[in-house]
Amino acid sequence: MNLTLTMNGATKTFEAAPGETLLELLRREGYVGVKSGCGTGDCGACAVLMDGRAVNSCLLLAVRADGTSITTVEGLAQDGGLHPLQQAFLDAGAVQCGYCTPGMLMSAMDLLLRNPSPSVEEINEAISGNLCRCTGYVKQVEAIQQAAERMRSGGHE
Amino acid sequence: MSEKPQFHVVGQNETKVDGIGLVTGRPKFVDDLQLPDTLCIKILGSPYAHARILSIDTTEAEAMPGVVLVLTHKNTPATRHTTAGQGYPEPSPYDARMFDTKVRFVGDRVAAVAAETEAIAMEALKRIRVEYEEMPAVLSMDEARAEGAPIIHDEEDATGIYDASKNIVADVDIDVGDVVQGFAESDVVVEMTCETQYAQHTPIETHLVLSYMDSDERIVLRTSTQVPFHVRRIVAFTLGIPMHRIRVIKPRVGGGFGTKQEVLLEDIPALVTLRTGRPALLHLTRAEEFTSARTRHPMRVRVKLGAKNDGRLHAIEMEGTSNTGAYGAHGLTVLANTGSKTLPLYNKAPNAHFYGQAVYTNLAVPGAYRGYGATQGYFPLEMAMDELAERLRMDPIELRQKNHIRLGETSPIFEKLGEGREGVSQTVKSCELEQCIQIGAERIGWAEKRGKKVRNGAWAHGVGMSIMMQGSGIPEIDMAAATIKMNEDGSFNLLIGATDIGTGSDTILAQMAAEVLGVPLEMMIVTSSDTDMTPFDVGAYASSTTYVSGNAVVKAAKQVREQIAAVASELLDCKAEDVALQDASAVGPDGKAVSLERVCQRAMYEADQFQIAATASFVPSESPPPFLANFAEVAVNTETGRVKVLHYVAAIDCGVAIHPKQAEGQVEGSIVNGLGYALHEEMILSSRGRVRNPSLFDYKIPGAMDIPKMEVHLVDSYEPTGPMGAKSVGEIGINGPIPTIANAIYDAVGVRLYETPFTPERVLAAIQARERT
Amino acid sequence: MALTHVQSVSQPSTLNEAWNEKASRGAAARFLGGGIDVVLFTPPSVDTLIDLSGLDLSGIADEDAGIEIGAMATMTDVMRSPLIGAYAGGFLERTLRQVASPLQRNLGTLGGTIASAHPWSDVIPALQVLDAELRLYAGESRSVSINEYLGDRAACCEAIIEAVILPSASKDRVSVYRFFTRTAFDISLLNVAVSARIEAGSWKDVRVSIGGRPGLAARQPAIEVQLEGAKPDDLDIDAVARSAADQVELRDDVRATADYRRELVAVLLKECLAELGGGGDGE
Repeated sequence: MNLTLTMNGATKTFEAAPGETLLELLRREGYVGVKSGCGTGDCGACAVLMDGRAVNSCLLLAVRADGTSITTVEGLAQDGGLHPLQQAFLDAGAVQCGYCTPGMLMSAMDLLLRNPSPSVEEINEAISGNLCRCTGYVKQVEAIQQAAERMRSGGHE
Repeated sequence: MSEKPQFHVVGQNETKVDGIGLVTGRPKFVDDLQLPDTLCIKILGSPYAHARILSIDTTEAEAMPGVVLVLTHKNTPATRHTTAGQGYPEPSPYDARMFDTKVRFVGDRVAAVAAETEAIAMEALKRIRVEYEEMPAVLSMDEARAEGAPIIHDEEDATGIYDASKNIVADVDIDVGDVVQGFAESDVVVEMTCETQYAQHTPIETHLVLSYMDSDERIVLRTSTQVPFHVRRIVAFTLGIPMHRIRVIKPRVGGGFGTKQEVLLEDIPALVTLRTGRPALLHLTRAEEFTSARTRHPMRVRVKLGAKNDGRLHAIEMEGTSNTGAYGAHGLTVLANTGSKTLPLYNKAPNAHFYGQAVYTNLAVPGAYRGYGATQGYFPLEMAMDELAERLRMDPIELRQKNHIRLGETSPIFEKLGEGREGVSQTVKSCELEQCIQIGAERIGWAEKRGKKVRNGAWAHGVGMSIMMQGSGIPEIDMAAATIKMNEDGSFNLLIGATDIGTGSDTILAQMAAEVLGVPLEMMIVTSSDTDMTPFDVGAYASSTTYVSGNAVVKAAKQVREQIAAVASELLDCKAEDVALQDASAVGPDGKAVSLERVCQRAMYEADQFQIAATASFVPSESPPPFLANFAEVAVNTETGRVKVLHYVAAIDCGVAIHPKQAEGQVEGSIVNGLGYALHEEMILSSRGRVRNPSLFDYKIPGAMDIPKMEVHLVDSYEPTGPMGAKSVGEIGINGPIPTIANAIYDAVGVRLYETPFTPERVLAAIQARERT
Repeated sequence: MALTHVQSVSQPSTLNEAWNEKASRGAAARFLGGGIDVVLFTPPSVDTLIDLSGLDLSGIADEDAGIEIGAMATMTDVMRSPLIGAYAGGFLERTLRQVASPLQRNLGTLGGTIASAHPWSDVIPALQVLDAELRLYAGESRSVSINEYLGDRAACCEAIIEAVILPSASKDRVSVYRFFTRTAFDISLLNVAVSARIEAGSWKDVRVSIGGRPGLAARQPAIEVQLEGAKPDDLDIDAVARSAADQVELRDDVRATADYRRELVAVLLKECLAELGGGGDGE
């Protein structure tokens, strides 16, 4: 099946098998930043933004992405520099093995797009579907808070 | 405490050297390398816990279009080996075969298919006709040793099993003094037995291996592993091919925690590539990760403590029975560690006895898991200490303070009990446990909250504590090496076998080298864990990387520093020993300086040319323990049994923290993992030995909304034998939650729980049982 | 590939088209809503998916009969709708918060979650105590109560859910929900939903639904009868909850025993009744 969608800001066409998930399509097409952890929507490592909302790409049939705007971690960096969220994750020490990081960044993006001043509870809820075994979440929450603050004062989107 | 030097790079929260690629999703993990014509490998797992394979017919599967190779016991090497990623000779039995004629747990290897696509491979699995003779299965530790129990490893060519006829993999028995006498002489004796459950590491990236032939027809294994050098050796041995025809590369690993300290899968893709010439990918599904990877050792541990009325421990006995599943990898060493990392903490007792056995069962296979036996041992030990304190009418903290090991002290256990064999005698050269205890007690509000029986509706509050130690590497056994070579722009390549599995070792080892050479971190280019390119390192386990690999790096860096100084002294016209390295320059005694660039240019192009470089190795002669004090406040709901951890404080002495945020991150992560292990993680096995909940849907690990308010305090400390004063921090945190929460629950509702996890159902049953008495 | 047997995904533009296609393909076809359960639970016998996303079924509107939620509205859409926030004190919004994770709520649809009828569903008990109705399409549209839909699975599961209707008659109901999970991102071991209209200090038209038993959420008529007309101040909530717990059909499963679930029924029902008596103003 032919799909046309906006992929990290650029219009792209893909061939997808009818029973293929977006995760499978994306990795096949080289977007290897999107990770596979369980295939059942339980770990969130595969999260991408679809029309600004974070979704499990392992549960989304690829054909459903037709006509939508998809953002993956590869599309976060801006003007050759890191997105404040990416920078904050580095600065806060929130990246250990890094496998859950792309999905976590997507959930955080979804949150900050809607809510520029999230409370700790709201951050915890936003990333509640992203499992991490390395960090214990402490520094990831700090990173998201820091990014929110920088985005509020720096005017980044 | 020794005079601590001032550091410039060490002790800073530098950006991780691999960080940018990780936050931008660059291809860094095993299957981010996508090669054309890669075959997909799928494994056929046994449906039975214990069965003989009477026949396997693969003709139908092989005939399917797109199926390239089918492997069974009929066409693969029969070499018995261990999958345990340990130094040679491995202290684990050689009881595994690539594909055996017998299956020993549900999910055990029966056959493997390599096909053009995953769909074809999955379909081909269904067409393999296997005739099994089901046999009675051993489904518990007690059944394993019972009279007339089925013999799980009856093969003739297995070696290293203590007594296969009784399903006993390992037997340990060491003592100090005479505990029988010791208990008789004690004023108070307490005893308790605890059982821990089947739990799993659940790294977010499951096990996977990509194998391919390079252009010189050598096999390259790109694998998610903690032990690249052990992989190379064991795969070569298993397949009967020369080790020099194999290259093992570890790229970024999506979590290990011990389950990847195993040569779990690599032999299969290696053989597929060898026979077909094609790349091959074997990637476990999440369900297979649960059933057929590795788990925690479920253990039953009995602790008996005898003390004098003044609180001094006079006798300690610990007995461990460990369920090591269908194969004996890590069986002996985890069992031994249960005693070797716990008993020395209370070194004052003149009488001590540690004994136990690791037994086979026809169940999912345990292996290495952060904590490595100490986690299971601290559960009854720290609960028994609390009970002892209660009997002696002493504050639990005071009892610990009367008995724990101190600076300058030793324990006879160090020498008697190592990792499976004898250990190594040592004296503690850094110990800030007292400070840890004081910080923790103050932060949790111990004096204000302990014993207060605060109630909030159905919620009963309580606080609990525990103390622990671990180790830093395996003395006289582990070896690490590092090579540093200089480039003419003043940068360096740091080549280390040391294995970064997300722990940040690439970064901290680079920090150490940069510190010695006086350069900023970005001038240190790290290549790690490539058996062709980097020198040997045992790998990431036993909390060895910072201490053992770090010491090798520092040694190599010092040698390079000497070489630089020699060249610089010619440029600066002074004595080599008067040259100091700082700010990317070599500085003479009069303050004149030359850039490192200049130095290297001279050495590379101008005069007496040579490559400034050094390789150094390090074998530790001791294993300096990190120390940890844990304090927790819990609220227990007396109607539902729910245990909420409100506040958790960990104060840790890990020596100098090379990268404070990464060190904190290790403690935070291991604590949260430990909380899951304490409260709700449990692999549930059916009456036929099958894992009933092999998914993250049903095996619940902590998420962001489950974590308590957590504090991690890195206490100021300095280990004189450590690189830059560091010890280790990777494992110890996970040992804290079980005993700390158990002790807090007791403070809250007066019940002791002897079985993990402390699920609401178990806790409620214990509360109700107490109310009835 | 996740669904290797699926050969085609059709994209009808009318309900009639969708329905006819299903009728002709029979068991070899399956409707595609949000897609979560399609990806997770589609058997190999299904080779065609019929995508409902082109049918314009995702609107949320205030109609005469009540609030109409298009079946293809995602759970996030529903949660964020001001109409939903204003209905029955925001009860549905609060309940949907507990479902799965934000990632799944952004994808899963209200219709899909009802059609899947998972026993642990948090959504179904909430809708049951609101007397929710479904508009179904099976050649033509008809309305059924959610209970009728769940009770008659054979007949109903062939139909397309067009919309969920929250009746105007229920908009002033006071409703409470309690659930018990192991971790936060987990399905309910047990859940309890209770709602009533408050008339002169008494509870009228009481609805009680208990789910995760581990059976599918079911209304509890015996308990409802006990509570009908009750004045909260005169009620021995503890005793009522205890005796109610004995009346509910419960079973063991891998997550909990029936005995433990019985304890939970008593506790959760007690909490629901206490909150209901206090005006049911939320968390």
